[in-house]
Amino acid sequence: MMAFFFSLILATGLVATPAPDSVIALTNARIVTVTGDTIERGTLVMDRDVIVALGPDVAIPQSARVIDCTGLTIYPGLIDSGTQIGLVEVGSLAETRDGSELGDLSPQMKALTAVNPNGVAIPVTRISGVTTVLTEPSGGMLPGQAALINLHGYTPMQMYAGFEGVALRFPRTGRRGRFDRRSDEDVQKAADKAQKKLDDTWDGGELYHRIDSTYRAAPEQGRRPEYVPSMAALLPVIRGKQTLIIYVDTAKDIEAAIKWVEERKIQKVVFSGLAEGWRVADKLAAANIPCLVGPVLSVPTRSSDRYDKAYANASLLHEAGVTVALRSDDTANARNLPYHAGFAATYGLEKEAALRAVTTVPAEIFGVADRLGSLEVGKEATLFVADGDPFETRTRIHHVFIAGYDIPMESRHTRLYDEFLSRDPALKKHERN
Amino acid sequence: MNTRIAILALLLITSTAARAQQAPPSGDILVQNATVLTITQGTLTSADILILDGKIAALGEEISPPEGATVIDATGLYVMPGIIDAHSHIGVSNVNEPTAPVTAQVSVGDVLNPYSVSIYRALAGGVTTSHVMHGSANVIGGQNETIKHRWGMTDPAALRMAGAPRTIKFALGENPTRVHGRGNSVRPASRMGVEYVLRETFSKAERYRESWKRYEGEIRTDARAIPPPYNGQLEVITDILTGDILIHCHSYRADEILMLLDVLEDFGVDRVTFQHVNEGFKIAPELAAFGKHGAAASVFADWWAYKFEVYYSTAYNAAILARNGVLTSINSDSGELNRHLYHEAAKSQKYGDLSDDEALALITINPAKQLGIEDRVGSIEVGKDGDLALFTAHPLSIYAIPQTTIIDGRVYFDRDRDPDDVRLQVDPEAAVDIAVLHEKHDHQACLEDGSLTVYDLAQELE
Amino acid sequence: MRAFFAPLLLGLWLFFLPIFAHGQVNSGEEIPTVTRTHALVNARVVQAPTRMLERATVVIRDGLITAVGSDVTIPFDAEKIAADSLTVYAGFIDGLSHAGIPEPPKAANEERPENPGFPPDAMAGIQPGRDVRTLLDPTQQNLKDLRAAGFTAAHVVPRGGMLPGSGAIILLAGEHANDLVVKGNTALFAQITPARRMYPATDMGVIATMRQLYREAARRKRIDELYNKDPAGLERPAYDPVHYALFPVLGGATPVYFHTEDALDLHRILLLRSELEFPVVLTGLGQSFEVVDKLRQAGHPLLLGTKFPKAPKQKGQEPADSTKAQPTDAAAELPEVAIPAYRKDLRTMSYTDVDAERKNLEARRDLERKKYLTNAATLHEAGLSFGFTTLDTKPADIIGNVRTMIEHGLPEHAALAALTTTPAEILGVSSSMGTVDVGKMANLVVTKGSIFENDVTIRYVFIDGAKFVLEPDQEKQDSTETEESGDSRASRVAMPQEDAERARDLTEVRASRTNR
Repeated sequence: MMAFFFSLILATGLVATPAPDSVIALTNARIVTVTGDTIERGTLVMDRDVIVALGPDVAIPQSARVIDCTGLTIYPGLIDSGTQIGLVEVGSLAETRDGSELGDLSPQMKALTAVNPNGVAIPVTRISGVTTVLTEPSGGMLPGQAALINLHGYTPMQMYAGFEGVALRFPRTGRRGRFDRRSDEDVQKAADKAQKKLDDTWDGGELYHRIDSTYRAAPEQGRRPEYVPSMAALLPVIRGKQTLIIYVDTAKDIEAAIKWVEERKIQKVVFSGLAEGWRVADKLAAANIPCLVGPVLSVPTRSSDRYDKAYANASLLHEAGVTVALRSDDTANARNLPYHAGFAATYGLEKEAALRAVTTVPAEIFGVADRLGSLEVGKEATLFVADGDPFETRTRIHHVFIAGYDIPMESRHTRLYDEFLSRDPALKKHERN
Repeated sequence: MNTRIAILALLLITSTAARAQQAPPSGDILVQNATVLTITQGTLTSADILILDGKIAALGEEISPPEGATVIDATGLYVMPGIIDAHSHIGVSNVNEPTAPVTAQVSVGDVLNPYSVSIYRALAGGVTTSHVMHGSANVIGGQNETIKHRWGMTDPAALRMAGAPRTIKFALGENPTRVHGRGNSVRPASRMGVEYVLRETFSKAERYRESWKRYEGEIRTDARAIPPPYNGQLEVITDILTGDILIHCHSYRADEILMLLDVLEDFGVDRVTFQHVNEGFKIAPELAAFGKHGAAASVFADWWAYKFEVYYSTAYNAAILARNGVLTSINSDSGELNRHLYHEAAKSQKYGDLSDDEALALITINPAKQLGIEDRVGSIEVGKDGDLALFTAHPLSIYAIPQTTIIDGRVYFDRDRDPDDVRLQVDPEAAVDIAVLHEKHDHQACLEDGSLTVYDLAQELE
Repeated sequence: MRAFFAPLLLGLWLFFLPIFAHGQVNSGEEIPTVTRTHALVNARVVQAPTRMLERATVVIRDGLITAVGSDVTIPFDAEKIAADSLTVYAGFIDGLSHAGIPEPPKAANEERPENPGFPPDAMAGIQPGRDVRTLLDPTQQNLKDLRAAGFTAAHVVPRGGMLPGSGAIILLAGEHANDLVVKGNTALFAQITPARRMYPATDMGVIATMRQLYREAARRKRIDELYNKDPAGLERPAYDPVHYALFPVLGGATPVYFHTEDALDLHRILLLRSELEFPVVLTGLGQSFEVVDKLRQAGHPLLLGTKFPKAPKQKGQEPADSTKAQPTDAAAELPEVAIPAYRKDLRTMSYTDVDAERKNLEARRDLERKKYLTNAATLHEAGLSFGFTTLDTKPADIIGNVRTMIEHGLPEHAALAALTTTPAEILGVSSSMGTVDVGKMANLVVTKGSIFENDVTIRYVFIDGAKFVLEPDQEKQDSTETEESGDSRASRVAMPQEDAERARDLTEVRASRTNR
């Protein structure tokens, strides 16, 4: 059964056309650059993977393949700041889940290693305009390193979009869904225990850093430190070279995490989740920690909360001065990222801020704003062409380019539509003898 | 109340009292100057809707408000019929009785929970009617209940939509085979076994019905005739076979759906709604051709890949089914999704080009037909229940905000006036800051959680 | 307010400790009872909730109340108890209890049926044929604890699942299990309690199972009747203890005592009852304030629980000590902490409102808590009378909690009726219990102070004429001149004199019962 199953994955994984046309010009388009002014009617020219020209009066190179975009709008590819794309194929089947390693302390595990470029969700997601996603390991306190990937490529390294961060699931005092029937005391006890484990681990990491640094300063005088891969993986974070992504949701936990980050002097840090972020928005703003917020489409955390608090969360954080990027926290339906942004916009976030929260802001948070997140000359040609507001449900995406590759607008979902809308022939039902 | 229960009631000497059920409160409302999406009769601009005593009494322009009626100025607002969710598990104390492959005797209607705040949250998404279903752990699960979101009533009976046909949950495929076959070593462990659980149960019910028929004959001439054993489960199955109870079947794969159609054909049942039915697109013509009216489908807008039997899916499912003449609805099966079914319906425009009316029908008149309540709800027509959802923009737009929700001519949700904390019951012992975090609707999240047992998961199957 | 409880609590605490020593030291060595005739002389006698004699003597002989009045002849063989400062009440009756029923061994809960869809009845909690009389254990601590709270009789039912068995009225003292029993087969006990991981595993499964059992029992009863009348030509009906146990309920002879604290369960039970029409007594009723109108319409007898929700931890407050009796009203307890009024329309717009929100939610929770404390008064004001059930209440908390009900509006006479006359009526034992009247069983509570006052102490409990001393009377020892010395000795008949064993002076002394 599993053999059949894997062959199915391989047979149906869609990969884009191998080589990009060297030069493509998108003409007569409205161009939403995000960082600059919107060009109401203009042309964007890509040469292989880079935007080489963009503006109302751009000369179209002779060699260019021209795509007329009259009535259409070009946007930078959307970035989802939290998914498990490539790591989880079928949610209920352990054989198809690679995002979770055993144990609590595995920061050395790299999501990128396990990204399956043939994942069926990849084409499904990208043809909705979501071109780039953070794909995250899960399970345990330090589940591993999340990776930013573009949703096109034959190998994980081709997909790699230039950011890896160490994930930390901060000790939680919230309840894990409605079947969590632990008492208040037990919840607190578990959180305290986890907090101690985290502190002990970090002490270990800092000690390892001291030993390792001393050795490196004069390797000939000492012997190599013990091989402790989990601690070694924390070194870039402790040394301020790599980002720590802290997953934290309840108000109380967020406050604890802010304090912990200060105490431990973590230099590069982002928070993710933030279901109750709005409650402590001022503290998050004061701590100046960027936030990957979402899912927006979720229910309020407390039964006493106003019904729309989850929708409004991103807006309330933004208003308080927090740097907000959005995440779907989904895999099969990360394609709905634009709707998460749309709901955030409907419930208080300015549309422009909502757009930035899925383009430039995550690009900046992940340190890839020089290539992704906006339409500018010199940046990567990762963009899509839509017939309207990308947050509107009915809007169609007509073209997607990832690093200049003209992505086929196909996925399992579109192909089944094409095959079955008017199924032919009407199949005969054979009678049993 | 069928004959067997009537006879048994006589045996009890005391008579069976009618269920004391008070009529739910209704009101008079005039909605003025709205864009009215009637669903069945086109769209009216600057129209008024008059609701009297809970029923839509008039639809037109410049209707003058009767005395005592609440007047809502809906200038700039869009009004659609109250949204109907054909698949929900909110507002109940239990979802699954997962202990046996057939549990037709239980009913979620017996355990409605009007205190559940999810009833209000759905109301705040324009939902007025939900088909609250038993879970999917059993081939033949428990009976469902069609409720109206009358938030604020604390008598569970007040949630019931009186007169709605009885329905029951069936489930095929992975869930019942996992829970019983693999979990308890009880058949079915395969889709083959599922078919025979159905055939055996139906056949037993036929014989049960015959034994009572025989007794009803005997007792006329023989006062000492012995009544056959009473079996509450087979009572319910009998009512399924006679068409008194409508089947709503959790199913995904095309083959299992065709299997059930064959079984139903053999036993003379010709109404069925398939729930989820992710592979419905493959057999849309067969569904449309089934029985006198066709088999119906109630689908997700875009959920897929959370388990193997939904891996081969397409978000165009609703459109393919609708275009092939299958009566199709979009449901939530979730206390999150049911708050934006209007958005879920809009996805059928992205995935398959449905018109506005076709898209909105997926969450109004079509589910009403699947539940057998289309004469009461599902469109804005004179004579129907005064159940309306008012939006700040066209409900198929992502920027639409549900503003007011009306049931039986009474306002049950008002975005401007409602308090934040709408709870009807407060735990007097609990801390006020208890947070329940987002549940990923995938099994990984559940399985990672040591506090959950397989049994909890079985109860969770939706 | 907690301070007010100190005397009572201290008394109960002292009472608890030595009880074990008592059993060990005195086992097999009881000092014989000298007389079964007692006279409580010049007491304040509360004969019934609204009937009181300011100064009267109560004579007890051979287990019965033989005289009550200001002008009665005290029999020669009576132990005279000077009761000038004491009040005599009818012994309290617990409408529903597990007193005397041991907890089942833990291992029994771990059993797994082969097929969870069809477990053996007993495993699924379906045991209506079980007779509580076969389960009684007179050494159970809760019998003594209930006595110490003034209870003399209880309606006991087995522990278990949805249908644990049939009940019995018992006295709260006796040497052997049979000594306790007044009356058996009083009720069928029912709860919406699902089985663990087997059918019925849910509330809806329990309800469906009850329907099935009831309707099938009706059929079997019919067959049984036909067969008993004339078996000729009829197949022998199979004996089946589960369905047979329901026959008395079907006939209306035995009521179902349906227990729940939950408002939703109450709705469900009422609906099930209106469908199946069994006679019912509703018990527990913690959230009955939600269902008052329906209860009034239904008119079923009610037994109200005596347990309250725990006081929640307030921010910045020490955690409540759950081992102590909670005198309950947080607002009354901390008068200096001004609880802001609850504002229903308060909006939490952003982080700036979070503190106000917390205070508001706490205020709402306190209001909600009040509903539980005023529940008894709410029922009373709605014209509903009720007895009390102590199921799930720690005996030491009962009287304090009843006092809390009184502080929240329940009239004292209604509280007393709920402890005496009403449960007697519901249980059908009004002719023998519930009031201090000649001819009734000599079940009495004798207190120093009015029973609902904060500093009340329970001095004696009489059960079926047997005296139990609950409190030593230090004052009395200091003023023995008012008391006939023989009486004093009689009242302390089993008390050791040694100082080293003084602790035991504080315990109850059980006069041995001779006639059962």
